[in-house]
Formats: sequence, structure tokens, C-alpha cells
Amino acid sequence: MKKKNSHNDLVGYAMIAPYYLFLFLFILVPVGVNLFMSFTDYNLNTMNFVGISNYLRLFRDPILKKSVVNTLLYTVITLASTISCGLLVAILITQTGRLIPVFRTFVFLPYVVSMASASMIWLWIYEPGYGLLNAILKVFNLPMQSWIYDVKLALICVSVVSFWKLLGYNMVMYTSGLLGIPQHLYEAAKIDGANALHRFRYITLPMLRPTTFFLLVTGFINNFNVFEQVKILTNGGPVNSTTTVMHQIYNRGFVDYQFGYASAITVLMMIVVSIITAVNFKFGSKGHDLDLS
Amino acid sequence: MISKKKINAVIAILCMTLLSVVMFAPILLMFSTSLKSMGEISSREGLLRFFVPVKAHFSNFTEALQQGDWNRYFYNTFLVTVVTVIISLVINSMAGFAFARLNFKGRDQLFFIGLVGLMIPPQATVIPVFFILKNFPLAGGNNMLGRGGMGFINTHFALMAPYLAGSFGVFLFRQFFLNFPQALDDAARIDGLSRFGAFLRIHVPLSKPVFASLLVMKATQCWNEYTWPLIVTTTDRMRTLQIALVIFKDEVHTQWNYMMAMTLIIIAPLAILFLLAQKAFVEGIVTSGIKG
Repeated sequence: MKKKNSHNDLVGYAMIAPYYLFLFLFILVPVGVNLFMSFTDYNLNTMNFVGISNYLRLFRDPILKKSVVNTLLYTVITLASTISCGLLVAILITQTGRLIPVFRTFVFLPYVVSMASASMIWLWIYEPGYGLLNAILKVFNLPMQSWIYDVKLALICVSVVSFWKLLGYNMVMYTSGLLGIPQHLYEAAKIDGANALHRFRYITLPMLRPTTFFLLVTGFINNFNVFEQVKILTNGGPVNSTTTVMHQIYNRGFVDYQFGYASAITVLMMIVVSIITAVNFKFGSKGHDLDLS
Repeated sequence: MISKKKINAVIAILCMTLLSVVMFAPILLMFSTSLKSMGEISSREGLLRFFVPVKAHFSNFTEALQQGDWNRYFYNTFLVTVVTVIISLVINSMAGFAFARLNFKGRDQLFFIGLVGLMIPPQATVIPVFFILKNFPLAGGNNMLGRGGMGFINTHFALMAPYLAGSFGVFLFRQFFLNFPQALDDAARIDGLSRFGAFLRIHVPLSKPVFASLLVMKATQCWNEYTWPLIVTTTDRMRTLQIALVIFKDEVHTQWNYMMAMTLIIIAPLAILFLLAQKAFVEGIVTSGIKG
């Protein structure tokens, strides 16, 4: 019996070995390496230990401060718009019966488009000289805008691209949530005299809480790491009005070769993401005890 | 009562039609622009002309392909996607099987450590992974201590490395294999199959849906990846499709027709896959519930 057990052990270890090798080399060890590097001034050639000076610099860096504000603003705009509109569109699409697959194709298609490609298409739409958006404004005799070259509009423009790409994803998640709500709850509420608004407020929203929670947590982490759209559309400009934390990490690291400082920003970013995710879990997961099906 | 429901449906259909038009407009714009001449693009004509070219210039596609080494970019992206998908499916299914159906010491602890990997956003590891690949001992001109050369930087392996493991796939496979009845394992043993043999001949053939949804997810992720290739490649020969798109854009002007033509070609494989297997695609995304 003992012999057989140890053989089983070996098969088990052998089967998880390749996974663990890559997990260690490229996910777990890097977190430690990153922490280590944040105390050095590594620049691809030399590496000296510099104590906490990288961390002190974080607090004196006005562009980093700007990037944190931009990232939070972008995250709030994108998250709020995709989640609320995703729910609204999901409610609409479930009313269309046999046409659901048709509409779903159109709304979901942008999600399949890569962020780089999506950014290229929107770069063309935002083109200030002869792009589509200014042509639309012209039809209505409104003044032309410079969109991604306008300090006030640039960040919104970046959010719109993400909204276009992510709406379908949020809609699909909510649609499957909506279809999972047992119909008898609505019938019972109707008999009790609840109107449409009440039914939405007291049945739909609470029943969708796990979906909302999931979209909020994963959406926060994904949006907070925003980089591709920014890099392609504006490269952080104009005058740093769209630079984000990830964009700062990229610039400090792979443009300026200040890897120590870039690692310190990464540590800061991971701490912020962990704290907000923990807060989300603390206040958002209350709905999990709700199980009526 | 029924009529009210009908009115609701009509309103919903109208709203969804409008939304579909708005959502599809950028893609239609890409189509039409890819067929226009640069002269037509900059002529500022009416709104409708944005979506309907005066004359279809199909030569845009062949001309765009001649600007840059597109054969090579396609090869790079294709190779990285295919190899990553195959290796990660093999690695993930094996590990998922071991965590679900085998008993070995420390199994649950090891699985939990893997879950920690799920909570680390990939962006948080770009710098250290770059550092590890560059200083990998004995690779790419490096000595035993990982010094002297460029290591794995600017290689296909570097493009694949961060995507090969993936705790998420292991998690997905484990959940799936946990639902298999113990009787299946016992029957396999009685018939003389080893544990690994049972995995290959019984569990793998029965788990096509998981393989399919993970395949779609991984392929989408690899094909669409932008940030990592941007960081880890340094020469034109190692560029992938997504980062090669900037070829058509310089400081002063952009060749929109060529750029849209290539964007269309790059989007096409996944878009066609989505249109053909829409149900599997959407279900995979709902069940896996993760960003592609």
C-alpha cells in the first residue's frame, strides 16, 4: 500500500511540474524580483543598491501624481459606463426574443477586435482634419474639435474606445445573469402589486449582484492597468493629460531605462490594486448569501 | 397585457437596432476606408461618403502588404499563438487533472499557491520578467551568471513565456475534472490503465468543451497581445502583427487606407471564428469570465 502511494505521489508531481516551472519563473518569482529591483538603480548594465530613494522619489514626481489621477478618473468613467450601460443593454436585448443572436453579434463584435486594432480605427475617427466625428459635427453646424489633441477631451476619448470594446462583454455577462433569474419571482411580485421599477429594484438588481460584483472586481483590475489605448492614441499627451500609471511604468522602464524607479511604481500600483480589490470584496460580496434558485 | 408586452418588445428592438448601427459604424468605416484612395479620404465630402467608397481600390491590400515584412509578422504572430496554445493546453490539462484526481502530498497547498498567481495582474510583472529573460543563464550569449548577452530578449520564446503556465486554465480544468465519477478512475485501473493512461484515454477525450473554450481564450489573448511584444522585441524581424500596424503612421501623416486594410486583415481570423462559433465563443467567455 505504501509503495503504491509513493508512486501516485510521483505521477502527481510529474504532472504539475511543467505548470509549476512556468508559474514560478514567470509569475511568482517576478513579484519578488520586482520588489528587489525597486531598491536598486538597475539600468540594463549596472545595478547598485540605493535603499528607499526610489520610493521617496514617488512622492516628488508630479507626472506620476498626474498619472494616478488620470488612471483613477479613467477607471471610474469606464467602469461606471460599461457596467450601467451593459446592464441596460442586457435588459433591452432580452426583450427582443428571436432577434437576440443578431443584436448580440453586433454589440459583441468589437470585443473580438484587439485593443491595438480598435485604437487604430478610433485614431481615424478622431482625426481632427477630416475624421468622422468632425464630419458629423459639421453636419450639425457645430464647431470642430481636436479630440485626442485637446487637453480636456483626450481622456474621455480614450475611455470611449474602451467603452466601445467592452460594452459587449458586460452585456453578455449580464444577459446570462438575467436569464438565470427564476421567472416565478417576478410573477409573485406582480401578484403582490409591485410595479416595473419595484421589480427591477428589489428583484433584478439583488439577483444580479454576483455578476455586478464580478464585473466590478475584474473590471477594476483591468482598467487600472490601462496602457495600449493610451500608448497608441495619445502616448500620454497632450501635456500628460492622458498618461496613466502603466504608461509611466513603461516610459520610466523601457524608454528611460530607469528600471529601479519603474519597479517602485509597479509596487505602488500593486498595493493600490490590492487595497481597492480588498475593499470591493469587503463591501461587494454581501450579495453572495442570496440564493433563491 | 399582451399588447403592453408587444410595445415593450418593439421599443427594445428599435433601441437595439440603433445601438447595433452605432457599434458597427467603426467597423464599417474600417471596411470602406480600406478600399479608398488617399485622395478620396482627404477630400472631406458628405457624411455618407465615409461609409461608401466612390471606387473600390482592392489594390490597397497588396500595396499595404508591401510596406514592411508582413510575411514575417504573420509568421511570428501565428507561430507564437499556435505554440503557446498547444503548450499551455497540455500543461494546464495535466496539472488540472493531477490537482483534481490524484492524491499526493501537499496537493491542496500547491494548488492554493497557484491561485495566488491569478491575483497578480500580468502588467505588474513586465519589468521583472523582462529582467529574468534578459539575464537567463547560458541563453543568448549569456554566461553562467546570466551576464554578457541579451538572453531570451527578442526571441519567440520570450514572446510566449509569460503565457505558457496560466493558473486560470489549471483552475478551469480542475473544476471540470472534479465532476468526473470515481467509478471511471476505478474502471480504468481495473482495465490496466496507468493514471497517466487514464488521463490520456478517458479524461482528455471527455473534456472537449473545456479545451475548446480555453483554446479560444488563449488564442484570442496571444493574437491580440500588444504590450508584451512591444517590450520584448527589439528588431523589425521579431515584430508581431499588432505592433506592426504603426508602420503606416508617422509624425506628420497617416496612410489611413493601408492602415485600415491591414487592421481588417488582422481582425479577420478572430472575427470569422467568432461569427462561425458564436455560441461557443460567448459561452466560453461567460463560463470562464475573464478578459481575453
